[in-house]
Amino acid sequence: MTFRAMLAAAALALAAGAAYASTITVLVSETALRKRAQSYAPSVGTARLGQKFETAGLESGFYKTASGYVHASAVTERKVRLGSADSVGGGTSAEEITLAGKGFNAQVEKSYGDKGAVNFVGVNAMERRSVSEPALFGFLRAGGLLPEGGSK
Amino acid sequence: MKRLAPLLILVLGGCASLQSLDVSSLTGGRINSNVDVMKVAKGVNQIRKGFEDISESEEHFIGRAVAAQVLTRYKPLNDPALNLYAQKVAQAVALASDRPATFKGYHLQVLDTNEVNAFAAPGGFLFVTKGLLKLVKSEDELACVLAHEVAHVAKRHGLKTIQTSRLTSAFTVLGSEAAKSYTPQQMNQLTTAFEGAVEDVVNKLVVNGYSRDKEYEADRFGAQYARDAHYDPGALKTFLARLEKSEGSGGGMFKTHPAAAKRGAELGSLTPASAYKRSSERGRRFSAAVQL
Repeated sequence: MTFRAMLAAAALALAAGAAYASTITVLVSETALRKRAQSYAPSVGTARLGQKFETAGLESGFYKTASGYVHASAVTERKVRLGSADSVGGGTSAEEITLAGKGFNAQVEKSYGDKGAVNFVGVNAMERRSVSEPALFGFLRAGGLLPEGGSK
Repeated sequence: MKRLAPLLILVLGGCASLQSLDVSSLTGGRINSNVDVMKVAKGVNQIRKGFEDISESEEHFIGRAVAAQVLTRYKPLNDPALNLYAQKVAQAVALASDRPATFKGYHLQVLDTNEVNAFAAPGGFLFVTKGLLKLVKSEDELACVLAHEVAHVAKRHGLKTIQTSRLTSAFTVLGSEAAKSYTPQQMNQLTTAFEGAVEDVVNKLVVNGYSRDKEYEADRFGAQYARDAHYDPGALKTFLARLEKSEGSGGGMFKTHPAAAKRGAELGSLTPASAYKRSSERGRRFSAAVQL
């Protein structure tokens, strides 16, 4: 390869990297879209299960989207066929199972609960106990736990 | 040309990393670790095989059933103020973890027993006993204890205890039929697999305990989460030293965890983040909430 050809290859490779874009799909019930790629950055919206976003890539563990930054652990970059687990046999990904509500689900839980006395009432009470983000940030601020400019 | 070669390698190497976008070091999360873009491009038609293929929603339902078993064995403490305070501390450290959002979030319940123990069920169901809270002397110590439990969830330690045969059975049902709803036979097979999976996790949490390696890993990441939440990670060692003195009492955490002295030694030196601040408010609200 000539010197000029190598330069051209390098430029092409750089351009391909800069143009890297992908689609991410939310895999949790809901999660915050943040102003910056930081856990303590203010929320600018909510991403919900199955919602898709175009992303330019990762930044400090968060995917950057036009709507805000979403934590990488709450989404997948894998291709997900919405609703496919309703009708596809032979192989369905974990992500598709989540979006279709299949696999171990409420129906299986009910069947399991019917077999013996287990305290799902207590679990439901636990699930109702959740602190909103404004209340949590207030708690952190009062306790000196919010870094400078954290929730601004 | 020789001078240009390293640049070229760097550029092409950087692009190659996009083909195999491993973000595990950035997120510590399961979903995006070892994501191979080339495999994704070929589709997702591989049948699920092991614990790493358990979906977010399935983890949630396994966690609910494990939590239900814990709450069948232990009575929940009816102290709304204490439960809410501990919930806030749990959410504070979870937010700083490498898995801040589970399928339905983190939820905490204090258990009404003098046994010294804490548990984490998959999906983010956390438990801490009244007996353990009696040993905790500050919010920073409580944050470290809860961060250890969050680390068990973030690192999916509970799911890793499930026997592969249970999952194979469940995944086969899902992979064999193009069904919109399950037949009674399929439901029976799924329920049996689910029951076995829950039993595996409960036995590990409550009866046998995780391996030492997993406990040390939870200590290590827990200390990191507490530090990143601007608590003093050194409070974990302070707590472990106090725990060591009370180890004569036998069961609970003393049975299912490595010796406190060894855990403290494994942690090495722990220093707070530069933004760490002492706070009288943390002391005040801890004393107000934890009155046992």
